[in-house]
Amino acid sequence: MSTAAAAVAMNGPGVDRRERVVRFIAQAAGASHVEVSRWERLSGGAIQENIALDVRVEGGALAGEHRWVVRTDASSAVSVSHTRPEEFALLVAAHAAGVKVPRPLWLCDDGAGPAFFVMARVPGIAAGHRLVKDDALVPDRPLLARELGENLARVHGIAPPRPALDFLGEVPDDPACERVAAYRANLDALGAAGVNPVLEWGLRWCELHAPAPWPAALLHRDYRTGNYLVHEGRLAAVLDWEFAGWGDPREDIGWMFARCWRFGRGERVAGGVGMARDFLEGYARVSGRTIDAAATRYWQVMAHIRWAVIALQQAQRHRSGAESSLELALTAHIVPELEWEILELTQPA
Amino acid sequence: MKVEPAGVELLRVARASLLESLLPLLPAESHYTARMVANAMAIAARELEQPSAASVPDAARLAREIREGRHDAGEIAALLREITRARLAVSNPRLLGPVDKR
Repeated sequence: MSTAAAAVAMNGPGVDRRERVVRFIAQAAGASHVEVSRWERLSGGAIQENIALDVRVEGGALAGEHRWVVRTDASSAVSVSHTRPEEFALLVAAHAAGVKVPRPLWLCDDGAGPAFFVMARVPGIAAGHRLVKDDALVPDRPLLARELGENLARVHGIAPPRPALDFLGEVPDDPACERVAAYRANLDALGAAGVNPVLEWGLRWCELHAPAPWPAALLHRDYRTGNYLVHEGRLAAVLDWEFAGWGDPREDIGWMFARCWRFGRGERVAGGVGMARDFLEGYARVSGRTIDAAATRYWQVMAHIRWAVIALQQAQRHRSGAESSLELALTAHIVPELEWEILELTQPA
Repeated sequence: MKVEPAGVELLRVARASLLESLLPLLPAESHYTARMVANAMAIAARELEQPSAASVPDAARLAREIREGRHDAGEIAALLREITRARLAVSNPRLLGPVDKR
C-alpha cells in the first residue's frame, strides 16, 4: 500500500484528499517539495468537481510557481458520461491535435480514492450571457468565430481507430440513423413523459432527410457557448469533454449553431457570439471542408431534438422523486420552444 | 363556490411580492433562485388559466403514427403547430410575439 493509500485508509476518503493530490504531484513532477498556496473548490456537481490549485514546486523539471486545476470524480460518481481517466485520454488526444484545451499534466488512477487528473488552469470567461452581450470581452467577433471554427476542425481531425480512445465504443456506419434510433429509445424509456408528437415529427423528418454521412470523427458533443473560455477576446480553451464520441462532424456544427445556444442573440448563428460565415470560414481553412445549408439545417434539427430529450430526462428526474429540484422541474418548460424551432426548421422550403 | 381570491390572482400577487418586496432584500447569489421561483409561479398561473393546453387528446397514438411514417405527407404539421403554440402559451408566451402576448 502506498503512503497516500495508507493515509486514506486511516482517515477515510475526503479527509486526506489534498494530501493525496500533493503527494502524487510531488512524485509525478520529481519534486523534492510541493508548497500549496491555494486549494479552492471552483465548481462541481454530482459527477465531478474542479479544484483550483496554486503551488510552488521545488526541485525537478517543473521547479517554480504553477496554477493548476485538479479535476476529480465526486465520491459517489454514478454517471453515463466519461470517467476522469477517459476524460484525461480525450484531453491528451485533443492537445496533441493542436486543439485549444487546458494542457493535461498527469492522471492519478491508483485505486486509493477517486481518480483525478491535473491540468493547467487557463484564464478566461465562459459565461455565455456575458460573452454574447459584452463587446469589451469579444472586441473582434469575426476573429473569435473563425477561431471556434478552426478549433472544431482540429477536433474533427482526430479520426478512428484510436487505441487510446477505445472506450468511445463502436464507430457508427450511419451516424444520423444511429442518433435517431438512440433518441427514440430515450423517449421510449421515459414512458408517458416521453410521448411527444412534435419530437416524433422531428425524428421522422431526420430519418427521411439525412444527408450522406461524412467520415466519422471525434465529436466534442457539447461544443457551444458556455463550454469554452475566452481570454482577451481570443479562444483560450475548450472545456467539458465528458460527452465526446465518434460521429458525423456536422453534428457538432449543428449543436454550435442551434438557436437554443445563442443566448438570446438569434442573429448571431455561431453560438450567439459570431456569424456562421466566419465560423465556417475558419472550419474550412483547417479541414478543407465546407458544409452546405441543407446539412447545417439538418443537424440543427437534430440538436434541438437532442436538447429536448435531455430536458425531458432532467424533468423526469424531478418528477420521479429521484432528485426534487425547481431547476429540473422548470427544464420541462423549455421543451415547447425547442419544438417550435423544430417545426420552423422542418417546414418545406 | 370559489373562495376569493382565485388561484391565478393569488399567484400573481404572490409573485409581485416576491419580485418587488423580497428580491431587493436578497443577496445576489440568491437572485437566480428567486427568479426561478417567480418563473414557476408565472407558468403555474398561465396553466390555471388555460388548463386544456397541458394535454393533447390522444398524443400517444399521434406520436406512434408519426414514427410509423403515416403522416409523412405533412398535413399534420398544422396540427403540430397548434399543439406547440398552446404549450408555448403556458411555458414561454414571449416567443409567440405581440399578438399572443396579451
